[in-house]
Amino acid sequence: MRAGVVRAVGAAAAVSIAATVWLGLWVTPPDQTQGNLVRLLYIHPAIAFVALYLAGGTAAAASLLYLWRRTRSLFWDRLAAASVEIAALFSALTLVTGSLWGRPTWGVWWTWDARLTSTALLLVLLLGYMALRRVPADPEVRAKRCAVAALIATVDVPIVHFSVDWWQTLHQGGTVLNPELDAHIHGSMAWTFLLGFVAMALLFVYLVAVRYRIELLTDRLGGEELEVSLAERRAEGEAPPGERPVAGEAPPADRRVSLSDARPGGPGQPDPATAGSPS
Amino acid sequence: MKYVDAGYLIALSVLFVYAVSLMVRRRRLERAVRASGHGATPTGSGSPAGGPEHRGGGGA
Repeated sequence: MRAGVVRAVGAAAAVSIAATVWLGLWVTPPDQTQGNLVRLLYIHPAIAFVALYLAGGTAAAASLLYLWRRTRSLFWDRLAAASVEIAALFSALTLVTGSLWGRPTWGVWWTWDARLTSTALLLVLLLGYMALRRVPADPEVRAKRCAVAALIATVDVPIVHFSVDWWQTLHQGGTVLNPELDAHIHGSMAWTFLLGFVAMALLFVYLVAVRYRIELLTDRLGGEELEVSLAERRAEGEAPPGERPVAGEAPPADRRVSLSDARPGGPGQPDPATAGSPS
Repeated sequence: MKYVDAGYLIALSVLFVYAVSLMVRRRRLERAVRASGHGATPTGSGSPAGGPEHRGGGGA
């Protein structure tokens, strides 16, 4: 995605979030039964929608595409990593905004309800993925194990979705995504509710684009460090036994090589065009 | 309204701080990559819509 398009999506997200806040807090009327607490529902389901379906779905799809040999590419690994971090953030916000709605409505900040518990489990699994990603490893090995971890984590997404149908829960069933797809929301409340979903979806696209770029740049810098380390190891392997540096000690100045020295054709390396057979 | 205000304040401020931190991190990394001589990606931002740029799962 071009930098201009990313900036435009970011601006559109900012404007639509501002409009949602204005409509949600000042324009829409209080609900007949919930009063002003209904205003939290203009952001809470939209944030949960991003966490579960957009970020969670993207992470699962990208991880599958990485694991499938025909489409294997570090592009999918980076996209999954970006989506998982955003999914974790939005899952945490889902729990916080839900808790702030639940306290005055249910009388408790937290209850071991199936929907709440499965959402908290999803957050823990996503944090586990992020911890696993920080374990040093070869990029391919890391990508493979992270893809498997993302798929395990996202198995929880349909459990969260259907938890209100499968078990007796305190949490209400789906208002819009109910089995009949029949939303009973009226006028300005419906439009504000819908705008909240659009705003959070735009924000997700913007955040995932920026986060992906960070992942790409980090890989690039990490790759350079790896090349430098390899160059150092190669230089150690070529040194006569007496001159080999002990682990932790710097090699003698005349045995130090630069990155270009270690490349084929560089100083101290056989030229691939002229080098003969090892035997 | 205190629960509603707290909900909006927490959600929006966390999202704002996260977005700003991402932008700062990206800018820092872009500077570091430029300094190391790798240059910018040919697809501009190098973001997801650029598509898979490397097949086979080899190095970064």
